Amino acid sequence: MSCASGPGGGLRHPLRCREPWDEECEKEAVCVIMCASVKYNIRGPALIPRMKTKHRIYYITLFSIVLLGLIATGMFQFWPHSIESSNDWNVEKRSVRDVPVVRLPADSPIPERGDLSCRMHTCFDVYRCGFNPKNKIKVYIYALKKYVDDFGVPVSNTISREYNELLTAISDSDYYTDDINRACLFVPSIDVLNQNTLRIKETAQALAQLSRWDRGTNHLLFNMLPGGPPDYNTALDVPRDRALLAGGGFSTWTYRQGYDVSIPVYSPLSAEVDLPEKGPGPRRYFLISSQVGLHPEYREDLEALQVKHGESVLVLDKCTNLSEGGLSIRKRCHKHQVFDYPQVLQEATFCVVLRGARLGQAILSDVLQAGCVPVVIADSYILPFSEVLDWKRASVVVPEEKMSDVYSILQSIPQRQIEEMQRQARWFWEAYFQSIKAIALATLQIINDRIYPYAAISYEEWNDPPAVKWGSVSNPLFLPLIPPQSQGFTAIVLTYDRVESLFRVITEVSKVPSLSKLLVVWNNQNKNPPEDSLWPKIRVPLKVVRTAENKLSNRFFPYDEIETEAVLAIDDDIIMLTSDELQFGYEVWREFPDRLVGYPGRLHLWDHEMNKWKYESEWTNEVSMVLTGAAFYHKYFNYLYTYKMPGDIKNWVDAHMNCEDIAMNFLVANVTGKAVIKVTPRKKFKCPECTAIDGLSLDQTHMVERSECINKFASVFGTMPLKVVEHRADPVLYKDDFPEKLKSFPNIGSL
Amino acid sequence: MQSWRRRKSLWLALSASWLLLVLLGGFSLLRLALPPRPRPGAPQGWPRWLDAELLQSFSQAGELPEDAASPQAPHGGSCNWGACFDTSKCRGDGLKVFVYPASGPISETHHRILASIEGSRFHTFSPAGACLLLLLSLDAQTGECSSMPLQWNRGRNHLVLRLHPAPCPKTFQLGQAMVAEASPTVDSFRPGFDVALPFLPEAHPLRGGAPGQLQQHSPQPGIALLALEEERGGWRTADTGSSACPWDARCEQDSGPGQTQRGETLPNATFCLISGHRPEAASRFLQALQVLAALQEMSPARVLALRQQTQFLWDAYFSSVEKVIHTTLEVIQDRIFGTSAHPSLLWNSPPGALLALSTFSTSPQDFPFYHLQQGSRPEGRFSALIWVGPPGQPPLKLIQAVAGSQHCAQILVLWSNERPLPSSWPETAMPLTVIDGHRKVSDRFFPYSTIRTDAILSLDARSSLSTSEVDFAFVVWQSFPERMVGFLTSSHFWDEAHGGWGYTAERTNEFSMVLTTAAFYHRYYHTLFTHSLPKALRTLADEAPTCVDVLMNFLVAAVTKRPPIKVPYGKQRQEAAPLASGGPGPRPKPQAPAPNCVNQIAAAFGHMPLLSSRLRLDPVLFKDPVSVQRKKYRSLEKP
Repeated sequence: MSCASGPGGGLRHPLRCREPWDEECEKEAVCVIMCASVKYNIRGPALIPRMKTKHRIYYITLFSIVLLGLIATGMFQFWPHSIESSNDWNVEKRSVRDVPVVRLPADSPIPERGDLSCRMHTCFDVYRCGFNPKNKIKVYIYALKKYVDDFGVPVSNTISREYNELLTAISDSDYYTDDINRACLFVPSIDVLNQNTLRIKETAQALAQLSRWDRGTNHLLFNMLPGGPPDYNTALDVPRDRALLAGGGFSTWTYRQGYDVSIPVYSPLSAEVDLPEKGPGPRRYFLISSQVGLHPEYREDLEALQVKHGESVLVLDKCTNLSEGGLSIRKRCHKHQVFDYPQVLQEATFCVVLRGARLGQAILSDVLQAGCVPVVIADSYILPFSEVLDWKRASVVVPEEKMSDVYSILQSIPQRQIEEMQRQARWFWEAYFQSIKAIALATLQIINDRIYPYAAISYEEWNDPPAVKWGSVSNPLFLPLIPPQSQGFTAIVLTYDRVESLFRVITEVSKVPSLSKLLVVWNNQNKNPPEDSLWPKIRVPLKVVRTAENKLSNRFFPYDEIETEAVLAIDDDIIMLTSDELQFGYEVWREFPDRLVGYPGRLHLWDHEMNKWKYESEWTNEVSMVLTGAAFYHKYFNYLYTYKMPGDIKNWVDAHMNCEDIAMNFLVANVTGKAVIKVTPRKKFKCPECTAIDGLSLDQTHMVERSECINKFASVFGTMPLKVVEHRADPVLYKDDFPEKLKSFPNIGSL
Repeated sequence: MQSWRRRKSLWLALSASWLLLVLLGGFSLLRLALPPRPRPGAPQGWPRWLDAELLQSFSQAGELPEDAASPQAPHGGSCNWGACFDTSKCRGDGLKVFVYPASGPISETHHRILASIEGSRFHTFSPAGACLLLLLSLDAQTGECSSMPLQWNRGRNHLVLRLHPAPCPKTFQLGQAMVAEASPTVDSFRPGFDVALPFLPEAHPLRGGAPGQLQQHSPQPGIALLALEEERGGWRTADTGSSACPWDARCEQDSGPGQTQRGETLPNATFCLISGHRPEAASRFLQALQVLAALQEMSPARVLALRQQTQFLWDAYFSSVEKVIHTTLEVIQDRIFGTSAHPSLLWNSPPGALLALSTFSTSPQDFPFYHLQQGSRPEGRFSALIWVGPPGQPPLKLIQAVAGSQHCAQILVLWSNERPLPSSWPETAMPLTVIDGHRKVSDRFFPYSTIRTDAILSLDARSSLSTSEVDFAFVVWQSFPERMVGFLTSSHFWDEAHGGWGYTAERTNEFSMVLTTAAFYHRYYHTLFTHSLPKALRTLADEAPTCVDVLMNFLVAAVTKRPPIKVPYGKQRQEAAPLASGGPGPRPKPQAPAPNCVNQIAAAFGHMPLLSSRLRLDPVLFKDPVSVQRKKYRSLEKP
């Protein structure tokens, strides 16, 4: 509970009210009111001038004292809090050296070794996570302690910079909870990032005495450098029972698929060196090896490649002859030539990432940052985040035994694919490698996705770089499906009060064979629809929906009454469409169920003089919109129009009482990436009493308004989604020299 | 009196103020004096250490780059791809599969599966040249158990395919062999090495298979949200009406007559809950996880996407035994190919990885299917491929007409008759290439490397087209790059009298095929035609040349699940209803192929993929009563 959410107090004292004490806020409000009344009484203008002078001085002095006192008190009301909160700040701003010390007796319990058969459904208690509306797991972090053995010797370094950063990132995220009872995942503050700095048995004992340890169930450990000499295990050696391990350098033998998370080995250079993104394309070197601790056998293989392929391969090593040793991490040498590391990686198309003693190498991060395509030569290595990341798109994995073939394998990759990989490599680094925070959050997201699989992040969201996400369209109706004709369509007639014309439309539309239901949207709140007995008698169900407000968007509401997928939106004055034309329109829609299929077509044009879009209703050779005064479309678009229309377009349309059809054209084109289909030849859409469509469109101001709509919508969508085409759909034999009697839709285009 | 009263009121005011002061001041003092108590519920978070700057890095400088190396790769007990599969045998042709012949008498199913693998592009008859040796272990009915094969070699490069749960006891150690079987257990399954198969019923169709039953994209309003699998194979439906699943199992409706038996019909519900081994656990499972509540929260957009994806996956990989086996081989081939394997998009969006060959390209935008997802557009140019069969007249007029198109990039002449190549060709601005063909009709659809554009205008030397017809058709193709766009059409129909499919080239109100003697399509279909069709079908096309059209239309329809597109053709109107040749000037002559051609191809496909269309795409102002000057494609309307 915070005051900011309550009425009143929040806005006046935003700083003050962010504090979580409810009653404080109320008190503050009372105070302000009282101060005001007191001040008024004291300084009442009618009072003071009439007093005697000596009294006046006496009183004024007295009042000033009181006033000063009050002001001081008032100040006090504000000050102490800031003093207090800075006190609190001080309490939080402790030193790492002052954390509580925990003594671990030598005989305290040790957890079982990691259970290799653990899976989410056997070792993880999902019931702790429960069903929650946000589909987010709650993560608790244990308080930092310093563990010492019986002799007071510390078990490990208290915490490393990176682990501190990692825990800070979790604590700042939406996952964090400080309520141990509500947590679904527990993160110990015992730092096991680097196994070399640990005393294994004692660290395990420290884990076992955590308050909710329970055999490590739902506990998550982060480790980047597992194993130790001489045989370097590929997973953390600390016995950890059922705890999940986010580890750098897993092999297929130690990685528990779907349980552990493979994470990168963080490269400190990520934070130190700023390598601006370099565009994809050919680079100076085709292949670079920049690792220094390579096994001589591998180095020989690589040098053989260099001899064979000359300039395009560069094999670097440690610099031996550099004077200052401190900088040697950032230098690499080839013979006597000195190169800056990691900058040199940007000069290469492919960069070798070879297994060292450990499978996970920090250089992978540097290589990705440089936009160099990693050539991973480390048999059985589980690449970081491989549960969700598609490494085929960003790297080349080569078996160790094929190392001598590396060059020809890489050469067989088409240039376009290489450029994709370069972009993808850099994107992986930016999204998941570049900071400890990115690594921590990606790890938690992966676990979150397992626990709430139905709300999991999709492959595309994990893997597509922002540029691809922007440029691509994922059509919501992607399955090529031709809906059965038997289903028919629902006609929706939007009407206000033109009953006579409405009845004619109903009568005409009811003649269309595939009509299965007719829905009248009665948009007039001041007048009741005609009595039941007065409506035309038609062969299909007719329903009248009364709306609460006269809004154009009512036409596109996803009414429960719509049972068919196909919807025909039709104005209450469109009586000139023949039954053949409507039936044909429906059949065209069946072949293009993801498009707007309509009769009168319109076009948008770029006005070079005015530098903006223009609406065109003249006889043109192109079409980019159809009017929804008569159009077939999938009912899903009603849902999209009502609930997913971007920006303020929906309200804008209702306020202007115009352009709902243009908005629908924008929406469908934007979400499907496809053009409209105009059906049948152009007709003069004129009728005695109607003003809509052509009649109104000719009006000059109307045209200006419609152009304005296009410009407005294009700016809200941030793009011009409409697609221009040069075709329309006619029946196969339209205007062909063929007996009219034998044509399926003879009555088309005639009026 | 007055002053007293005034003074009194003043004093009153003063004392009130003092009281206030004391009160407020007291509070403040009190607060200062007392230590701040911990705030209940206040987020504490991970502390910001005063000396965080002084913390040491988890790895010492130099430790990372210089970690000592050992040439010994980590190893373990079981197999993974790198350790147990020898890819060096697969160089060159990619995946070549040898299937062990059955030792004894085999069932009809076994026989047909063998035939289907033998007809596929993966098959080889030589075990020495094969990179994968396939051991079929599928005769559940006969109870026949295979014995250890000859080239076993501890199972290296072997795949043991078990379509039905193994009835045989393990007669030999599987060792390094990959296992493809249904419902493998987590403990024995080796990810990235073994292949998990769907559980197939005994009566699963061998080829083709029924298309998915989904008839509409979005769920029917009012149908049950969830159906639970029950004991004895029944289904219970949980209604959308029950808001969230209550804990006392009230979300299940009374199982009344609505309950259906498995095998007959599946329940009419948006989701089906299938609960592994123990159906009776389903309702408890439902309560515990509140599946229903989660489903109800799912947005319509997601439900829509899931529905469609199930249908796509079914159609692409599950609907027949042949598809399941080919998918298994494709998965293994992708492992061998490494970087040139199918990108994920090709597996997961229509038409699927079996129909989008990674040997053609690994860039999705090279295919006709993924332009939307890639945000790319088909190329603005086409290549005209003119097939010159007997009698072998150089199609001079046609070349002129095509070369006149602003979208034409090159003209290829496929010379496929006995006459010698003419020495001179008409002067055009277009690059003209002549290919000497092998006199086989199926050559028309060979993926010639000289074709440099995505779009192909396939022509017969006897076709006649005008430049504006070509222009308009190409602009239409750009809107539908995955379909065939043609001028002349034909139809298939079900012939009740003969109990088979019929073919007609007569003009009717609908059509399902376009003639490839004048049609635009994507160059990828040449690759698909040549590399994915069974050999028997291509031979059929060579033997009965009129069938080649039908075959190409079948192929494209099977991939796109859409009918082709027809555009207006000016010459058509001059002729009588059945297109008859022999008039003045050479005309393409669509001879009706023998009707059994359609039937043979349909049988080979396992189903009838052709779909009918009732529309033609015309220019927007086609034959409208408006000045011809305003029309872009005015010559299309000339009588």
